Amino acid sequence: MYFHTWPFVLFFLIVYSIYLVLTETRFRLLFSLAASYLFYACFNPLYLILIAYSTLLDYVAIAKMEKNRHRKIWLCISIINNLGLLGFFKYGGFITDNLNVLLALLGIPYAVPAPSILLPVGISFYTFQSISYAIDCYRGNIEREKSFIKHATYICLFPRLVAGPIERAKNLLPQLRSMPKVSIQDVTDGLSLFIVGLFKKVALADYLALYVDKVYATPEQFQSPALVLATFLFSWQIYFDFSGYTDMARGVARMMGFHLMLNFNNPYLATGLGDFWQRWHISLSSWFKDYIYIPLGGNRKGMFNTYRNMFLTMVISGLWHGAAWTFVIWGAVHALGRFLTRELERTTFYKERVPKFVKQLFVFGFVTFAWIFFRAETISNAWTIVARIFASGLANPYCPLLALALIFSVWLYQFAYESRFKEFLQARPVRVGIVVLMVLYLAIFAPSSEQPFIYSQF
Amino acid sequence: MMVPFSSNGVRLSAREWVVVIVIVAALFCLGPLLWELAEKFEPGPDYRLPYELSNDYRLYKRYCRWACSQYKTLVIGDSVIWGHYVPKDNTLSHHLNEIAGQVQFANLGVDGIHPVALAGLMKYYGGPITGKKVILHFNPLWLSSRKHDLQSEKEFHFDHPKLAPQFFPNIPCYKASYSKRISAVVERYVPFTSFTSHLNKTYLNSMDLSAWTIEHPYDVPKFEIRNSKFEIPRLEGAAAATATDIQWVALETSLQWRFFQSSVEILKARKNRVFVLVGPFNEHMLKGKSVDTYRKMKEEIVAWLNQNGVPYYMAPVLASELYRDASHPLSDGYAMLARNLFENNSFRKLVVGNGAAGQSNGARQQRAE
Repeated sequence: MYFHTWPFVLFFLIVYSIYLVLTETRFRLLFSLAASYLFYACFNPLYLILIAYSTLLDYVAIAKMEKNRHRKIWLCISIINNLGLLGFFKYGGFITDNLNVLLALLGIPYAVPAPSILLPVGISFYTFQSISYAIDCYRGNIEREKSFIKHATYICLFPRLVAGPIERAKNLLPQLRSMPKVSIQDVTDGLSLFIVGLFKKVALADYLALYVDKVYATPEQFQSPALVLATFLFSWQIYFDFSGYTDMARGVARMMGFHLMLNFNNPYLATGLGDFWQRWHISLSSWFKDYIYIPLGGNRKGMFNTYRNMFLTMVISGLWHGAAWTFVIWGAVHALGRFLTRELERTTFYKERVPKFVKQLFVFGFVTFAWIFFRAETISNAWTIVARIFASGLANPYCPLLALALIFSVWLYQFAYESRFKEFLQARPVRVGIVVLMVLYLAIFAPSSEQPFIYSQF
Repeated sequence: MMVPFSSNGVRLSAREWVVVIVIVAALFCLGPLLWELAEKFEPGPDYRLPYELSNDYRLYKRYCRWACSQYKTLVIGDSVIWGHYVPKDNTLSHHLNEIAGQVQFANLGVDGIHPVALAGLMKYYGGPITGKKVILHFNPLWLSSRKHDLQSEKEFHFDHPKLAPQFFPNIPCYKASYSKRISAVVERYVPFTSFTSHLNKTYLNSMDLSAWTIEHPYDVPKFEIRNSKFEIPRLEGAAAATATDIQWVALETSLQWRFFQSSVEILKARKNRVFVLVGPFNEHMLKGKSVDTYRKMKEEIVAWLNQNGVPYYMAPVLASELYRDASHPLSDGYAMLARNLFENNSFRKLVVGNGAAGQSNGARQQRAE
């Protein structure tokens, strides 16, 4: 039941109507929890057992952490439990596959049976949210939430359950403690966010996917222009897909009175890779920074350690995205890019002489190149694509001009939004006109999409 | 803690949302009307809905409106009426017109429209058919197996699923997602969605714009209702009538029959004079028990039609060479069927009678026969 499907519309209309009627915090909270569990059960009722178990164990561990002398042990229990769940469900197949390759290389005639486990939707997100909460409580950055209902709602609040944002407790828990009143502005803001997200997902991401999927399914059949364009389109597809999801999640939450964090801030306008990661999947990037990079030492222990920490953080981030070596390489490529640009960005020449637009194009080009490893089905496919981009013919790519026109319109809008034309874009007729165009485009041209969100599969 | 709103300027106030809603509502109402004024649609004699546009129900509705204004009698049914194995000037309606000596019968057949879908078509898109004479065809083929009757539990992709009931009553072989079912329901009740569906089907080869541009990356859609590229299946002599012991679905448990009854009722409720044509069915293909079962089924059909005062004609068994398959006649078969119909009193009475009145007269006549 994804946000852009009819069942969700029905679900939300019913849930929201009841939600608005309930004005007392405790009833609203209980109802939010029940609705969130119902929402999650619609994907697979068995998932409920997992999330309930994870929530309960963390609740107990954090409670024990507060009262017990062995705080560190309880923190470890919480982290190991969450990572264990993630490891088992997400990386079980990956680990056994690699183990079997290793056994075969060693000539051992035994194959570990691959577990056929269904990856529970959103597990990467709620386990990370739980871990951050446990660590924050351990560090004393936040007061433990004593109410189990509030704790459970914080973990599973349905607008952000499937693919984040990975909300920090210090942002969301206070909002749950006294459930926010829903104002007219919350509703209109929520609708504004939702319509933009819906447009990004249905009209753009799912559209671009048609071309990208075709080319990436059989890269050996396409030549350089098609592969370049498919990669270019994928960089926008994943942006529209994920930021579209986030916009919808934030929109739904806003209609309920919750303010979720901004997760994307026009990342393809970044002028450096560091800047890119402050604009792309902000909730995850900041999570890795706060709970991995800085605990590893951050940039405080010399250049070697800084780069080591950066490398480890990026590779782990890659692995978080998916249980495959392609994601690890993607993370490593970003780490490498970060090493190079970090030094480059420090030079006076780069700071003062290189025009902003060139920096933006450079970062976009690099990020787009890295997406090849993210999108390719296998490492060999990724190499095929890279090799064929540089050494194949120049056959007509047959890339739809409409798709390119839409992408460049959005890009232009973003450039304008971060320039002196921002005021123009905020003028009432422009905003109203844009929404009318989006609604009409969705109503007339967009297919009734049932494509899942890319990030919900991580 | 202040959370930044978003990374774009799209943030509307309540008043601005009202403006958006008003503009969009106006465009939703006016757009389809203006489009229809500009869209050239000129069905000539012997027109039948292009095969490729069989599921363009908005176009069907428009054709119904046009046919109701031009023709006295509408012939409604599946591919037997549409004329799957014959050119458009050899269909049943063509032969009826020829015998009548005037253009009186319109071919409102739709390829693949089984009775369950037909009921939906009449209910949601057949509104213009009011106060007309209607020849409604019933093809017994739809009862020839549980699969044809849409009763198999295994998923089966049948034609015109959007016209079938999406939730109640349950169609066992229909396993579409809730999302698809809800959008099918929305399409029936929100005219703008049937308009967009019409645009996709008519101008974008039944694709949405995204899929169409993938196939035609540098093209612009042609804004004209495309003519059918349907090629009549090659006739290599009449199909060999392989006799089969068909496992007929009992009439009282048949979904297709139940929905056919509902089509009759819908049309009657709209003050149409309904005449039912049952068959023709290639009985040469029957063997074993299926012959008797079929005979019994026909008797039950007649009983129901009589009971409900619906005039009818049970098509006789044509010579086997006049069939292409179990139910589709060839050109000569249609000609013979048309002649047979004109020899039928109830039919003649319907053809020469006026408008929708006298529904029961026809039935009385039939019973007298």
